[in-house]
Amino acid sequence: MAKKTIITVATTGAWPKKENNPNVPMTPQEIANDVYDCWQAGAAVAHLHMRDDEGNGTMSTEKFRETVSLLRAQHPDCDIVLNLTTSGDLNATDETRQAHLKELRPEMGSYDCGSMNWLNSSLFLNPPKFLEELGRNMQEWNVKPEIEVFDPGMIANAAYYLKKGVLKAPLHFQMCMGCANGIPGSMKNLVFMKETMDTLCPGSTWSCFGVGHCAMEMTYGAVAMGGHIRVGMEDNVMYAKGQLAESNRQLVERAARVIREFGNEPATPAEAREILGLGR
Amino acid sequence: MSWGPCFMYYHCQACGKKFKYAADMIPVLGEKFGACPYCGGNGVFEKDGARTLDDADYPEVEE
Repeated sequence: MAKKTIITVATTGAWPKKENNPNVPMTPQEIANDVYDCWQAGAAVAHLHMRDDEGNGTMSTEKFRETVSLLRAQHPDCDIVLNLTTSGDLNATDETRQAHLKELRPEMGSYDCGSMNWLNSSLFLNPPKFLEELGRNMQEWNVKPEIEVFDPGMIANAAYYLKKGVLKAPLHFQMCMGCANGIPGSMKNLVFMKETMDTLCPGSTWSCFGVGHCAMEMTYGAVAMGGHIRVGMEDNVMYAKGQLAESNRQLVERAARVIREFGNEPATPAEAREILGLGR
Repeated sequence: MSWGPCFMYYHCQACGKKFKYAADMIPVLGEKFGACPYCGGNGVFEKDGARTLDDADYPEVEE
């Protein structure tokens, strides 16, 4: 039986706007429709960010609620795993970064395991108090953390929180490659990230994405190394050099082709739940 | 959360044309990074960050 590879689609993110690519879904209705399209194309997990009415990133619980409600009401057949961000606005408070998880209880939520200088311009703060509170709350609310790591030090931080009981094994990592101030995206670095994870947090599952030039290298690399993959316009508004992505679906379809050409199969949401241990 | 690539936006000191480089290409391009792809002149750094609203006005230099 073919090995299953989970495709996560990150539809929107906090940054790209229609001026960058008119196909970025921004409103709750656009995002709900987009998630459904991507699910039909093979995505098993949807990582969602919200935008305010001006198109800026927001942690508005109302926007998350509206999007999830639209998806469930209009597409009741869609069983995609929802993974809601906790980092959609650099000015959000600790409370607003978690309120939507408490109310909506998605199966997954992002957990950014350390602070960094973001794009050489601002602070992406995930201080110890916030990470401890978020980790314990996610356990209480039965929301599986997707541990986003931008460098190997963040993996070590996850191992610390695992020992402390803030996080619970088995962990699931999202390796974020090629982001400014994070580890550059290369195969050598991806191998090092995985080796670090295997050493410090054995038994973990992992996924990977690369922004910009390393996007396809990281996709192929993750599949070849037994990981899972994330695609979507949060990370890349371009499909190829000089070519804007037509849709998130287009990116998911390519990911599915890569997986099948390698000899694996895209995981269904049910299979993703089994792989990630959701609902246990 | 990711915000896509970090770009550095330039115009050419000699011919005035606009262009941009992705910061992750620094180790790949080395000394060529920041140079004008049209005439080889020196690029004048303007700004950096994720894709700006006028991003399309700055063709990306990739090699």
